[in-house]
Order: sequence, then C-alpha cells, then structure tokens
Amino acid sequence: MIKRISLNAIQSLWLPFSLVAAWWLFSTNSEDPFFPPLSVIWDQFVFLWVFDNVPIHVVPSLINLFSGFSIGVLIGLVGGVIIGTNQGLARYIEPSVDFIRSIPPVATVPIFIMIFGLNYEMRMAAIAFSAIFPTMLAVIQGMHSNNPTLLDTAKVFRLTPFQTLGRVRIPAAGPIIFSGIQVSLQVAFVVTIASELLGSGFGIGAFTLIATDTFMITDAWTGVILMGILGYLVNLIFNLVERRALRWYLASKKLS
Amino acid sequence: MDYQTPTGIKHVLRDISFSLLEGEFASIVGPSGVGKTTLLRLLTGLMQPTSGTIRINGEVVTSPPPGLAVVLQDYTRSLMPWLSVEKNISLPLKRLGLTKAEIAETIESVLNEVGLSGNQKNYPWQLSGGMQQRVAIARAIAVRPQLLIMDEPFASVDAQTRFDLEDLVLKVRDDFKITTAMVTHDIDEAVYLSDKVVVLYGSPANVKEIVKVDLPYPRNQVSSRGREEFAELRTKIYAQVRGLQ
Repeated sequence: MIKRISLNAIQSLWLPFSLVAAWWLFSTNSEDPFFPPLSVIWDQFVFLWVFDNVPIHVVPSLINLFSGFSIGVLIGLVGGVIIGTNQGLARYIEPSVDFIRSIPPVATVPIFIMIFGLNYEMRMAAIAFSAIFPTMLAVIQGMHSNNPTLLDTAKVFRLTPFQTLGRVRIPAAGPIIFSGIQVSLQVAFVVTIASELLGSGFGIGAFTLIATDTFMITDAWTGVILMGILGYLVNLIFNLVERRALRWYLASKKLS
Repeated sequence: MDYQTPTGIKHVLRDISFSLLEGEFASIVGPSGVGKTTLLRLLTGLMQPTSGTIRINGEVVTSPPPGLAVVLQDYTRSLMPWLSVEKNISLPLKRLGLTKAEIAETIESVLNEVGLSGNQKNYPWQLSGGMQQRVAIARAIAVRPQLLIMDEPFASVDAQTRFDLEDLVLKVRDDFKITTAMVTHDIDEAVYLSDKVVVLYGSPANVKEIVKVDLPYPRNQVSSRGREEFAELRTKIYAQVRGLQ
C-alpha cells in the first residue's frame, strides 16, 4: 500500500520537480530583466503571498470565482433539466444555446462592462454567464443519453415524475454532468482573471497586470505562479468532490 | 401490432389472443425476432397496440398499470447502480403509502425470500450477476404485484446460476402465487417453469399453439427434467418454434 502510494507520487511528481529544478538551475545567473532568477521570484513570492497580500488579492478573486461559478452552474443545472426533459422545447432552444456558447467567454466581458460598468456585479455576471453553458449542455446531453431500459423500469414501477428525475435520470447522467461542471469551473477561472484585467485594483489578475505595466517583473511572475497553483488546487478540490459523488460509477467501472 | 419502418409498415403481431388465469405461470416462446419482446412491451403498457386491446382483469392497458412488476434480462440497466440494494427495492414502495418500518420490514422479508439477507447496504455492482438478478426479483415481489412480467430473466447468467434462479422463481411462485408471464428463448426452461407455454410463430406472428404443461409440483431440476412428459413437451414445442410442425 505504502509502496503504491510512493510509486504514484513519483509518477506524478517527477516532471514538475524536474521542470522547477531546470528553471532554477538555468535562471540562477540570469541578468535579463524579464527573466529574473527563480530564487529571486521565490523570495518575492514568499514575501508577497505568505500571507500579506492574500486578503486584498486572493480572497476577492476566489469569492468572485465561487459565487459566479455557483450561480452559473445552478442556472445551467435547472435550465438543462428543463430542456433535457422536454424534447419539444429542446428543438426550439438548443440552436440558440449552441450559438451563444460558441462565443469565447472572455469576449463577453466587454458586453458586461457596458451593462454593469466596471464593478463587482459585472465580474460576477460575466463569470456566471460563462459557467452556465458547459453545465447546461452536459445536462441536456446526459438526460438524452439516459438508457431506455432504465426509463422503462421507472415507468413500469410507476415512480413519480420527481423520483424518476431525482433518483433515476439525473444520477444516470451524473458522469456527463460532472464533466460539464468541470469545464464550467475551468472557464469560470479564466473569466475571473480576465474580468480583473479591466478596471480593477484587486484580485490576482489585476495585481499581475499592474505589476507588468509598472515593470515589476518579478511581482508579475509571482502572480502567474500563484494563478497556476490556485487553478490546480481548485481543480483538485473539484476532483475530490466528483470522486465522492460518482463513487458508484468509478467503482462499477473498475469491477467490470 | 404494426411498426412504421423506413421501408413501409411492418406487421409484427396479429390476432394474438391468450388469457392468463390468476396464479398461472405462462411462458412465451418463439423464434428470434418473432415479436416476443414487442408482446411484453404491449402487456406492460410501455407500448400501445395499433389495433385491438390488452386487458388485465378486464381493464384496458394504456400505460403501466398498478400491480405490475417486471424483471428484465439486463439487470445492470434495470437496477440503479447509484442506489444501494435497499434503496433500489424501496423506490417503488414509497408510492404505496407504507410507513418507514413497513418498508424496512418488506425489504428484509423479500431479501430473505431470494436468499440475500443482510445485503441491504450493498450496491448492485458489488454483487455477482446472479445476485443482482435476485435483487431484481426481490424488488419485483416487494410491490406485491398481481402480474409479474419477466423478459428473458436468466439469459445473462451462467448455466449453474440459471438453474438456481429457476428454482428461486418456482419457490417465489409457490410462496406468493403471483400470476407470471415470462418470455424466454430456452424451451427447457419454459417447460420446467410453466403451467402453459404460448408458442408464437410466423410473420406477422400469431399464437401457434398454447401447450399445457402438466408436470407435477414440486418440480425439481433432476426428476422433473428427467420425466418422459418433459422430453415429449420440449420436443413438441421445439418442432413448433422451428416451424417443423
């Protein structure tokens, strides 16, 4: 057991470790102002982010991300269930949904600025909007791919519409829905940072942009590294939640 | 029963008429593609006949009627893998107005009946194929159905498990006296389990013959299958399914 865990750790960690080591090594004597030595970046990272600036820059970004993401996913789930259970409605709505979600989410930020101005509501709305569609489309697709035998079973045993939805159709679509929510999360993260690049003094995106504009290159590097770490952690938390929720699916796949 | 197909209308079933008495066990056999599954879908109300009617206790079936339970061939798709064994069984019970205690009691007694006591908290995918089909049978009898419909219920399990499940069905039948209609492609199984065997043949299919099975009860895999009448019946039905008679 311990052997397996350490093997897993080696398999997943050798590459990041090697890359960081290589970066550290090759940048040691760097005098290029745009590529400071990693040791310098690291010292600055610890100075800035452990933990003095966390409340002003990291916390607002995370609040934006989670509230926008939650609102978007909630709308996506409800909308997806309504469209997914209603074949007739789907025909009227799906083409428009396909059109809107083809617009790169970041490109919608200017529209939200026009509507809301440069403020907190704008960021929230842009993040939520971007998070709606991956989830909604996954729910629709998941419900459409519900196995007919499963639906027949629900009918013959005369389950209530509520039971059929909550106990049969939505759980059956679970694996597809979760992959949609994961895409929503990734898009929401991108839009969180992008929305901070315009007219904001707070947030990691804003911090990094301001640092770049004022030639605080080392600070900018720490911002980029911080975004990478946060994105990775957010995804990691998501995977843990998913693994818990889809335990039946992962376990049954492993056995078959 | 007609189907609209890309090449026109296909008549699948015509003039199907047979009756099932209370407590009787009937098997429906016939060559592959004859329309056995279509007939079952009509019986369960999942499909409407294009002409004619299906009646259960004199009531015309237009949608799945109360008092009906099914056991399907594909247990991996008819049991919900995200629900534990007890939740799978209790799902249809919630509508019947039972109290929590009554539901728990029912679950315990039906699991006991199918030989799976103590498996309440397990998930279907933790059980073998034969055990999953036992859960499906337990779920079916838990609703106390007036009519039990089984669609090739033992086609996906190995031969030994199949014999065990057949005997389980005989036992359940003896304990609960449920009227049962079963589609199968296994003629031996049809003879072993049934009071009568409905043979479908032709295109569009109709009832070629209803063969009465007079094998005495209790039936037993060794002695019942070894009887002379058993061999005669299976030969006769086999010839009919093959169109030799």
